[in-house]
Amino acid sequence: MSTISIKNLRKTYGPYVAVDDLSFEIPEACVFGLLGPNGAGKTTTFKCMLDLARPTSGTVLYDGAPLAPQTLERIAYVPERSVLYEWMTVAEHVEMQRRAYTKFNLARANELLAQFGIDQRKKARALSKGMRTATMVALAIAREADILILDEPTSGLDPVNQRHVLNLIINESARGATVIFSSHQIGQVERAAERIAVMDTGHLALEGVVDDLKADRKIVEAILPSETFALNGLAGDPRISRLDRNGRIVRALTSRDAQDVLARFEALGASGLRIVDLNLEDIFLYAVSPSDATADVVEDR
Amino acid sequence: MPVVLTVDPRSGVPIYLQVIEQVKRSVALGVLAAGEQLPTVKQLALDLTINPNTVAKAYRELERDGVIETAAGRGSFVRGNGSIESTKTAATDVARDAIEAAVREAKSIGLSADEIRSLASDAIDRWFREDA
Repeated sequence: MSTISIKNLRKTYGPYVAVDDLSFEIPEACVFGLLGPNGAGKTTTFKCMLDLARPTSGTVLYDGAPLAPQTLERIAYVPERSVLYEWMTVAEHVEMQRRAYTKFNLARANELLAQFGIDQRKKARALSKGMRTATMVALAIAREADILILDEPTSGLDPVNQRHVLNLIINESARGATVIFSSHQIGQVERAAERIAVMDTGHLALEGVVDDLKADRKIVEAILPSETFALNGLAGDPRISRLDRNGRIVRALTSRDAQDVLARFEALGASGLRIVDLNLEDIFLYAVSPSDATADVVEDR
Repeated sequence: MPVVLTVDPRSGVPIYLQVIEQVKRSVALGVLAAGEQLPTVKQLALDLTINPNTVAKAYRELERDGVIETAAGRGSFVRGNGSIESTKTAATDVARDAIEAAVREAKSIGLSADEIRSLASDAIDRWFREDA
């Protein structure tokens, strides 16, 4: 049990709207990737989920109930910035966690820290940014929590340790934990996450199962009979979420049924028809950037 | 486990479809023999660093397509009985996708059905000449 529902979440700081009417659900045992440009509201969302920031309005529910102290005990959180005590050694942090959490798995913590190559005798201040991240991730995983909230859990890590963190996330999910994590490295989210949400300036720009988004969101490219050829009705097609035209070349971003959209272009007499696959980075960029203003036909919804 | 699957998570092709295609291809090529065990969902997810639910979805579809069967608590295996059938099915599936893509491309650059048929016929003649 650990379904998380975020409903109409809003968080303002004075006139600044950090999170705006955000709603999505994270199913049990799901790895959920939260993406967005800097300042999109990802960290604020995490803080609201943990009661570290009080939502201005809206709710965060865990299995249908608001966050309770006993729920908080089941959540392991790795914040974006180091929360290690500079003057304490890694071993002292391990001991502190062991005392704080009854379920803390000491052997697992030692094993993970060793895998990351962290010398537990070192004081936190002697650790690099990446090693601080790795220490916090190791301590979080050793909690054997039902829910993991990881804000940039690979930041500062080398590629080998980044891959190791992704496999730890996958392993946590395979044992039934619900994991939500953010990352600027879309390729990592593309690997580990089953579902994603893309945030942009506080609001939800896109949400869904990564493989479904890839199956549905395609570029249908066509060459029109003439530069002045009218595309009557195409801009209103619910399957087309964006239409860019440059002379005779037209590109339609589909939200589903690319084959049908292709057939529609074909019926109009277009040639050079092709369907282009989009990876998560392309899909992300389309979700957060406005339509190309130089295109003759611009439709964004 | 002799199964070596490779997926490209950065491609625009859904990962579960890549897993399905690779397993079918391995069965078609005989790399995966009838009765052979596939890695567990968790193992394959960790080996490839991809989401376990994505692997589980691929396995479910492979099972539905009759390529593999899953015995509760024992794991997933390449279908034993009727293995020739599943090999044939897997091979046909892989080939159909390749031909579909080629025909789509040829059509999109303006070739007629007859022209495409003639090209396909030439290609078949070339590839099967030595067999004759």
